[in-house]
Amino acid sequence: MPAAIPKPIRDFFAHRGWKPFAFQKEVWDAYRRGESGLIHAATGTGKTYAAWLGPVIEWMQGDGEANPPLRVLWITPLRALVADTENALQLPLTELNIPWRLESRTGDTKASIKAKQQKRLPTALVTTPESLALFLTREDAPELFRDLRLIIVDEWHELLGSKRGVQTELELARLRKWSPQARTWGLSATLGNMTTAMATLLGAGAPQGRLVRGVVPKTVLIDALLPAEMERFPWAGHLGVNMLPQVLTAIEEGQTTLVFTNTRSQTEIWYQAILEARPEWAGQIAVHHGSLERKIRDFVEDGLRAGSLRCVVCTSSLDLGVDFTPVDRVLQIGSPKGVARLLQRAGRSGHRPGVPSRVTCVPTHAFELVEVAAVRDAVKAGSIESRYPVERPLDLLSQWVVNIAIGGGFEADELLAEIRSTNSYKDITEAEWHWVLDFVTRGGEALRAYPEFHRVTQRDGRYLVEDRMVRRRHLLSIGTIVSDASMDVRYLTGGRLGSVEESFIARLRPGDAFHFAGKALEFVRVREMTAWVKKTKASDGIIPRWDGSRMPLSSELAAAVRNRLDEARNHIFRGPEMQSVRPVLETQAETSMIPAREQFLIERVRTSEGHHLFFYPFEGRLVHEGLEALMAWRISRLKPITFSMSCNDYGFELLAPDPAPIERAIEHGLLSPAGLVDDIPASLNAAEMARRQFREIARVAGLTFNGYPGQNKSVRQLQASSGLLFDVFTRYDSGNLLLNQAHREVLERQLERSRLGQTLERLSSSKIEIVDLKRPSPLCFPLLVDRTRNRISSEKLADRVRRMRARAEA
Amino acid sequence: MTFTLQGESLTLFPERGVYWPKTQTLLVADTHWGKAATMRAAAIPVPGGTTADDLSRLSRLLDRTRARRLVLLGDVIHARQGRAPQTLAAVAEWRSHHHTLDILMIRGNHDRGAGDPPDELNIRCCNAPVVEPPFVFQHFPTESPEGYTLAGHTHPAVRLHGKGRQRATLPCFLFTPRVGVLPAFGSMTGAAIVYPRSEDQVFAIAEGEVVAVGRDLN
Repeated sequence: MPAAIPKPIRDFFAHRGWKPFAFQKEVWDAYRRGESGLIHAATGTGKTYAAWLGPVIEWMQGDGEANPPLRVLWITPLRALVADTENALQLPLTELNIPWRLESRTGDTKASIKAKQQKRLPTALVTTPESLALFLTREDAPELFRDLRLIIVDEWHELLGSKRGVQTELELARLRKWSPQARTWGLSATLGNMTTAMATLLGAGAPQGRLVRGVVPKTVLIDALLPAEMERFPWAGHLGVNMLPQVLTAIEEGQTTLVFTNTRSQTEIWYQAILEARPEWAGQIAVHHGSLERKIRDFVEDGLRAGSLRCVVCTSSLDLGVDFTPVDRVLQIGSPKGVARLLQRAGRSGHRPGVPSRVTCVPTHAFELVEVAAVRDAVKAGSIESRYPVERPLDLLSQWVVNIAIGGGFEADELLAEIRSTNSYKDITEAEWHWVLDFVTRGGEALRAYPEFHRVTQRDGRYLVEDRMVRRRHLLSIGTIVSDASMDVRYLTGGRLGSVEESFIARLRPGDAFHFAGKALEFVRVREMTAWVKKTKASDGIIPRWDGSRMPLSSELAAAVRNRLDEARNHIFRGPEMQSVRPVLETQAETSMIPAREQFLIERVRTSEGHHLFFYPFEGRLVHEGLEALMAWRISRLKPITFSMSCNDYGFELLAPDPAPIERAIEHGLLSPAGLVDDIPASLNAAEMARRQFREIARVAGLTFNGYPGQNKSVRQLQASSGLLFDVFTRYDSGNLLLNQAHREVLERQLERSRLGQTLERLSSSKIEIVDLKRPSPLCFPLLVDRTRNRISSEKLADRVRRMRARAEA
Repeated sequence: MTFTLQGESLTLFPERGVYWPKTQTLLVADTHWGKAATMRAAAIPVPGGTTADDLSRLSRLLDRTRARRLVLLGDVIHARQGRAPQTLAAVAEWRSHHHTLDILMIRGNHDRGAGDPPDELNIRCCNAPVVEPPFVFQHFPTESPEGYTLAGHTHPAVRLHGKGRQRATLPCFLFTPRVGVLPAFGSMTGAAIVYPRSEDQVFAIAEGEVVAVGRDLN
C-alpha cells in the first residue's frame, strides 16, 4: 500500500502544472521501506526529485528536527554539475520551508564554507568522488557520516566502466560500514546492462535492489544534412568543414542550437569557421569544452539558459547536466559513435511539451552517412550499448589504501572485508591483497633491500601514514583521471583562458598564432608551467590537439553498419542517407568490392610509400588496434619485416617497405583463434601497448605525479616518464602486479578482449577476399592518409635505422 | 664507430660514451647516479639496481677502451637525496675496480644541489670550462671561443623517418659545427628530441650499434 504524499509536496508539483510520476512515487515508497536501487531514464525527466524528495518526505512526516546532521550525500561525476544540482535541490527546500542546510564540497568550495563544514556538516552535501575521497581522510569521518540516510550517485552510467566508478564503489563500501542504515540510489541513463549497473552500485552481497524505469523516452528524430555534391565530398576529411553552408542554414532555422563535435579541436575549428562565415553573429555564438576555464564555461551555460545564445559549439562537456530549455536544435558533427551517446545528445533539445527531440547528423566523410542510417536502425531495434565495470584495478586499490591510512589508519583484515564488499574487488585474492599492502608499505619485493623506504608504516597492527610529505603528495595527486601534463593558458594581463597539453605548447615558437577558447591568440612565452599569450588579429593560427582517447564505434552500431553495407551490396539503398552515399558505395564496388556480411575484405595496393594492406572487419577502432597488432605480429613471424599501422572504425592498414606474404600468412593461420593466448601478449609487447597503458597506472598508484602547484622545480628531480618506469620495473621487478595490470587492462579494457575473440571467430569463418587495387578505394582512403601510427618490426633496429633519415629542422 | 672531429679521431660507443684515443680519455655525460634512490627517498617505490647496472656498463667501456682517464661531463649525482648508502656503496665498489683511473668531473646544474661525490672516491671536481685543445669540456652545450665544445645536459635523441611511414626515436650523439653533445649515460634519464640542421652530424644508438644518420647517410 503506497503511502500518501504530503500535501505540500503535491502542491509543489501542482504549482508547476505537474503531477508526480508513478515512478517517482515508486522510488519514494521504496526509500521509505529501506530499499536501495537504480533509476534509469533520459535526462530531464524527473529523476532528480524521484531520489531527492524521499528523505524530504521522511523528514516532513517524521522527526521534523530543526537542523539535522548530514543525512543526504549527493555524488556527481562532474564538478561542473555541482552548482546546477545544488540549485535544483534547493528549490523544493525553499518553497516547502524546510530548514535544511544544503551545501556543496568540491575543489572550488570557498575556504569560509570549508571552515564551517569542518565544525558541522550540512544536512545535505553535494560532492564529487574525488572530493569525497579527501573527506574520508578526516579522522572524525565515521562520526560525521553516522546519521547518513541516503547516498545518491548521479549520472552513474558516466562513472561505471571507469576507475572513478571503482573509486565510488570503495567510498560507498566505507560509508555503508559506518552507516548501515543508509540507502543507495543511483541515477543513470539507460544502458544495455542495467542489472549489472545496479549490482555494481549496491555492492557485493547486498540485497536485491529495485530497478526503476523513469519516463519512457519520447520519440527521437534522427536525420542528416546531405552534401550537395557527393564528388566534392571529402572521403577522409575529419577536419573538413565542407558542410558549413548547410550547418549555417540549420542554425538559422533554430532558436538556439547546440553543435556537438567529437573532439575539442573540432569545436575550435567549427567555431572559427562559423564566425568567419557569419561575423555578425559575434557575441551570439560560443564554444564550450572541458579544457576551458570554469568562468568561461559558466558564462556560456548561463547564456544557454537565458536563451541569449544562438549557437554553442561543444563536446561531451555539455552531454550531462541540467537542461537548457531554450535549445531546440542539436547538430552532431562527425560520427555518432554510439547509439546511447546520440540519444543522450538528442535529448538535449526539445524540452518543451509536445516537441520531439531531434538530432541532425553532419557527416564529415561519406561513410558517416551509412552510420546515420545504421544508428536509426539500432534505435528502432532498441540495441543500446552496455558499460562494463572495471574489475579489481590494483593501482586504484594502492591509492585507496594510502588514502585510508592517512584517515586514521586501518587493520588489514577489517579493511579487506570492507573492500571485498564492493563488486569490483569481491574476488580479490589473498595474494593480491598482500601484494598491495606490501607495495604501499615497503615498496614491494624489489625494495626488500631498502629498509629506509616507507610510504605507509605499520604500528601495533595498524597501518598509518606518518610522513607529512607522503601525505601531502597523496592528497594533491588523488583521483583517477589521467591527464597529460597540461599548461595554463593566460593573458599577459592576467586572465586565465583554460589549459592545453604541454606537448602542443612545446611546438609553438614565440610569435606563433593559435586558436583557443574561440579566440585568436599569439604565443608570447612559457613561464612557471603557464603559456602566456596575447590577443592577435592573425587569422591563420593553428588549433591545439588534445590527446583524449578517441571513442570507438560501439559494437551495436558497428553491427548495424555491416547490415547496411550488406544491403548496399545487393543494390538496396534505403533512406535519404543511403541514397546520398550511393555514388561512393558504387565507386567502392567498382574499384574493389563491398563486403557481404559473411565476407572479409582485404585490399592491397602499392604506392610510393610502400606496400599497403587494408583489412575491413568493421568492429570499431579499439578492436582494430588489437587486431592490427596481432596480424602484423603473425605476418612478421614469417619474414623480417617492419609494419607501420593505422586504424579507424571500419578497418586497419598494415604498411611495409616490402611486400608482405599475406597469402602465406593466411595459410599459416593468420586469422586462427588458436594460439591467441601467446600471440596476443607478444603482439601487444611488440606494439608497446602495455607500456603506454602503464602511464595511467603509474599515476594512479602514485609512481608519477604532476607536482605541487607552484613547486615545479623541486618536483622535477622526481620526474621519470612512465615509459622509463615501465622499463625499469620490467627489468628489475618483473613480478610487479602493476605491470601485470597494464597487460590486463590493454587486453580487457582497451582491446575489449571478448570482442576481439568474437571478431576473430567471425572472421576466421568468413570468406576472405583479397582485392588488388589499381587505385585507392573509398574505404581505404581515410586510412591511407592517416598520420597517427603504431609500429611492429621483426627486423634488427640498426638495419632499419640505416634506411631511415633524420628529419631536418623544418 | 670512429670518426674525425677537429682533426682528432674519436670513437663513439653504443654504451653512450666517446673515447679519445690520443689522450686515452673516455667521456660520458649525465650519469645521474642515484636517481632511483632519490625517488625512493620521496616514497616512490622504484626498484633498485639501475645505478649498479649503469656502473657495470661504464666498467665495460673502460675495459674495452683501456682508458686511463674518465671525464664526467656533469650531472653526475642526481640529487642530494640520491646519496643513499646503497648508491654510494655501489659507486665505491665500482671505483675500487678502477683504482688507478684518473677521474675528472665537470660540475653541472644537478651537481650544485647534489654536491660533489665523496672525497674517498678520488674524483677531481672542477667548474667548466676545461680546455684541452682542440676541445673544451663543459656541461652546457654552448659555443666556446677556446675550442670545440664537448658537453651533455640536453640528453639528445633523434627522431628518424623511413619508407612505409616508419619512425623511431633514439638517443644520439649530436655534432654541430662548434658543439658536440653526448647522450645521457644514466639509464633512468629521459631524452629531448633534437632537430639536426644539414651541417650537423648525428649518430643514433640502435640496440648496441652506433649508426650515422643525417648528413653521412646518402
